[in-house]
Amino acid sequence: MPSDLSSLVHWILFLPLGAAALSALFLRRAGALAAWFSTAVAFVIAGLALKLLTSATGDVTWHVELAKFGGVSLGFGYLIDANARLMLFVVSFVAAWIHLFSVGYMKEDPARGRFFAGLSIFMFSILGIVVADNLLMTFVYWELVGFSSYMLIAHYFDKDFAAAASKKAFITNRVGDLGFILGIAMCLSLYGTVDFAALKDHAAAAKTIPVAVGALLMCGFLGKSAQFPLHVWLTDAMAGPTPVSALIHAATMVAAGVYFMARVSFLLAPEVLHFIAISGAGMAALAGLCALAQTDIKKSLAYSTLAHLGIMGCALGLGHPELALMHMAMHAFFKATLFLGAGSVIHGCHHEQDMLKMGGLLKKMPLTAATFIAATLSNCAVPFLAGWYSKDAIIEAAYHGDHIAIFAFLALAALATCLYSGRMIRLVFLGEANSEEASHAHESPWTMTLPLVVLGLVYSVAGGFLAHAIIPAGSLKPIEHALGEVSFHLTAPSTIVGLLSLALGFCGALKFYGTVRGADALQVVSPRTYHLLEHRWMDGLYRWYVDSVQRRVSEFIAFLDLLLINGVAVRWIGGGVPAVLGYLSGRSFHRGQTRAYAFWIVLGSLFLAWFLIAR
Amino acid sequence: MDTFPASLLQLAITAPIIVGLILLAGRNLPRSFASGFAFGGFAIPAVLGPWLLVLWANPSTSPQQFVSEGFWGFGFALNGLGAPLLAMTSLIGLAAGVKALTQEVEGRNTYLGLILFMLGGTLGVFGTNHLVGFYFFHEFALIPTFILTLFWGGEGRRPAAMQMAIYLTAGAMASLAGILIAIDVSGVDIAGATFVKVADGLQNAQHIPAATGALVLFGLGTLASLFPFHSWAAPGYSAAPTPVSMLHAGALKKFGLYGIILLGLSSLDITGGSLGTWFLWFAVANVVLVGFICLAQRDLKQLLSWSSVAHMGPIFLGIWVCGVSGKADGLDAAAFLMVAHGLSCAALFLLANAVRARAGTYRLDELGGLATRTPVLAALFVAATMASIGLPGFGNFWGEVGVFLALRAQPLWLQAIVASTVVISAVYALRAVASTFFGPASEALEKRFASAPFGDLGWAERFAAFILLGASLTIGFVPSLVTKSVNPVAAGITTYSQHNAKAPVKAAPAAPVKR
Repeated sequence: MPSDLSSLVHWILFLPLGAAALSALFLRRAGALAAWFSTAVAFVIAGLALKLLTSATGDVTWHVELAKFGGVSLGFGYLIDANARLMLFVVSFVAAWIHLFSVGYMKEDPARGRFFAGLSIFMFSILGIVVADNLLMTFVYWELVGFSSYMLIAHYFDKDFAAAASKKAFITNRVGDLGFILGIAMCLSLYGTVDFAALKDHAAAAKTIPVAVGALLMCGFLGKSAQFPLHVWLTDAMAGPTPVSALIHAATMVAAGVYFMARVSFLLAPEVLHFIAISGAGMAALAGLCALAQTDIKKSLAYSTLAHLGIMGCALGLGHPELALMHMAMHAFFKATLFLGAGSVIHGCHHEQDMLKMGGLLKKMPLTAATFIAATLSNCAVPFLAGWYSKDAIIEAAYHGDHIAIFAFLALAALATCLYSGRMIRLVFLGEANSEEASHAHESPWTMTLPLVVLGLVYSVAGGFLAHAIIPAGSLKPIEHALGEVSFHLTAPSTIVGLLSLALGFCGALKFYGTVRGADALQVVSPRTYHLLEHRWMDGLYRWYVDSVQRRVSEFIAFLDLLLINGVAVRWIGGGVPAVLGYLSGRSFHRGQTRAYAFWIVLGSLFLAWFLIAR
Repeated sequence: MDTFPASLLQLAITAPIIVGLILLAGRNLPRSFASGFAFGGFAIPAVLGPWLLVLWANPSTSPQQFVSEGFWGFGFALNGLGAPLLAMTSLIGLAAGVKALTQEVEGRNTYLGLILFMLGGTLGVFGTNHLVGFYFFHEFALIPTFILTLFWGGEGRRPAAMQMAIYLTAGAMASLAGILIAIDVSGVDIAGATFVKVADGLQNAQHIPAATGALVLFGLGTLASLFPFHSWAAPGYSAAPTPVSMLHAGALKKFGLYGIILLGLSSLDITGGSLGTWFLWFAVANVVLVGFICLAQRDLKQLLSWSSVAHMGPIFLGIWVCGVSGKADGLDAAAFLMVAHGLSCAALFLLANAVRARAGTYRLDELGGLATRTPVLAALFVAATMASIGLPGFGNFWGEVGVFLALRAQPLWLQAIVASTVVISAVYALRAVASTFFGPASEALEKRFASAPFGDLGWAERFAAFILLGASLTIGFVPSLVTKSVNPVAAGITTYSQHNAKAPVKAAPAAPVKR
């Protein structure tokens, strides 16, 4: 491979690391400078990624050994295949616009330097996951992504909820990573390598892949992509600034799990795939319904993200990693738009996040409203919008794969998506303003609306077509390949499901949520259903574990240690010796401890002397 | 023999001791004079230590480098394991020294002199090839540790120093017995008993008393806080003055591990038979039981002290798995973790003390919201915490992950138990960060700030923290700095232990081994 391409990757990877270090060390107090510097770097990276995408076909590989532990090589390198090119471009492109958005959104924030340093270290980490050529380096970046997410969620660290949310996100991710590292150890044990290329050869040569390998590696995916039962952190993660929610917790980081699973899809046994498909589809339906019971606009969108991650997981499980990646790309565009739109709304409404207190923003924030609605329609998979290409293909794949249960779940998910989307549009943009803040809403500055227009109007609406125009044929291969595998036309069952959901769900929600003003219509009509969807069952379970099991066990062990080991061993057995020593050395000497020590030294020396003489 | 680096090594070890002597003798030396001297004593090794590590480049020539026979009666030399540990100790020494220089204490010159003794002794431990020298230097460092804790320590210093003295003396005596038996069995004259010669001798020994391995493992294990001989550690570190905790928990404690590796693992078969089983379970207890004890802590310094005990677990397991698998990767990883843990642990003790200096307490329920007042302290504390829980970029990551990977051939449940440390340590460490720095400022803190406003981290503490975290980042990004010198040692020891396992009774002359 030409070396200039690998040096291109060096730049893509290390520019953000350098930017992060520079911002953190020197630009802490120069917020504006840090903001523009970081944004400029993000756009440069996006340009480089575009160059990489369009420059050549074939894989770019580069590898160097950092160190050796015995026979285990700690390698650092790149493996840029078609998927990686696409992902690099999507991540860096979306990220660049979100950086620009942040310049406006965070203008008043005193800790801008820290914020942009955090964004840059995040860029480094996520791009690292994309380019890494082995499991161990993937794990390295994986952990760093967790750390950057922790740092950015904790941006408003003086608020208790932000402190708690950041901790929760990091620890939940670490639970997943525990499985991940065991999976890496198992790969190393079975195949003697952690390099993707070598593992692929081994997997191709082996007749079957042990279920445990895939199951353990999957744990990392469950944590990072917030899949059941490790999904609990994502909604809390909305405590971070909105651009962070857009970039990390909607468009890129959570998608990293999907990307990783696609990258190691050859290591996943059928049982593992089946589990991912079922749980993903279930997750998609359930999270979509839960979005109906959130009044915080960001939390509602967070549930929407959970649902889409479920859909991506489902595609993976159905054996279509390319479709999952394609949906990841499409989702990145429209969900980033939705979150940025939400950010613009929140900014415009003077930091009001409660949808019930919004309303009528269509006239006051026309650009935001137009892009938000366009992205919502894409989210609902209106035919020929970006989301439709991928989502319908996945539903279609489920139908053709004879997985009726999965198909049913996905159909329910499609309906739920339309329901919560319609609700959101109705509550936020239509009707009358429901609060002082909303009635005084104003459109956001250009740094915030330009990214909305670019990401929203251009990509959500025309993503499918533009993809063909911009992305060269070689890189599109995975997508075309995937689309070719499933029948894809307007009369397919998936399209029928999609159109029915739109008619019933979207329009129904628009009407239903217009019936009650200043309150949630579902909560008024059926409080029990609302509560069922709102209550966070898994969180309750985990809280019970932490409070009633973990805390008690740890206190019990600490007590036992104090009583048995420290108490009995030291006070009685150990204490007896110095007591005698103290007696021998004379209790009048007030620093008996030092004396006792001296006594031991003398004893030791005598022993040594005896030993030397005796031999 | 290359004499120049050998004299660098001599200088690195003797400089702090000589300066310490001057300060002890000149108790009434003017303050500025004493400070300048002391800084020199701390700084000289900090320059030479990393330099020697870089010079320690060509392991194929000899396993011992920079040898000076007969210096101080037993000779100095640097082996591949000692080289990174010496560099680490020298950096911790500088950080601890800078911290000590900023402290206002009674008998300042004596205080500084004793800390310099501690540093010199610890450097000596890793810079000698002689078993008697190794033991001598450990005692040389330990006695000042007791005295410093007893006279300059914080709350509960008397019982803590007492308990520490008993435990460590008992451990040292047991290990001394083990060492002496080993020397005797090896047939090497005690005057020339270097690690290499003793290990060679033990290879050819007809019979090694069964207790030897146990004495070495549990004796030295006590010094490295192996469960259940750990009770001294947490109160001891907590009560000690900060520079002492930094040096003790960070550097001096590694003495035990160093000895276990070079003597126990290489030639006493400590991982075989029932002794090996005990070793395994004790090490697992270090990870899990002590990990849970950490979860129950409500005091920042106690928590750091306990977590420093818990973090020994993976190191012990790396050593253990090297012995049972006959593969070097576990030992490489364990050695890496020894170095990295020293740096992160010292940084945490340093910064925790800075917290206390401002908030007036270590109690987590009384702390809170400090980050708004002291952003730099908060950032560095988060960085040090992340280092200690194995965030990539810092050295600890390679060590921890290396140990997990080295355990790959062991049963999955054992791997899972050991790897659970990534979750347990994250839980208690992040809880500590959140309750100290995040959230709204606690009432107590606001009151204190109103009555006596405090500033962010001063330049001296910043400098010290930057040295430690910078070193950890350096080996995190360039792990070969450590592995280059450790790899041949680990490979050599593996050859030994395989040799041991295959031929318990040595009839044939020992194969030439590379060490």
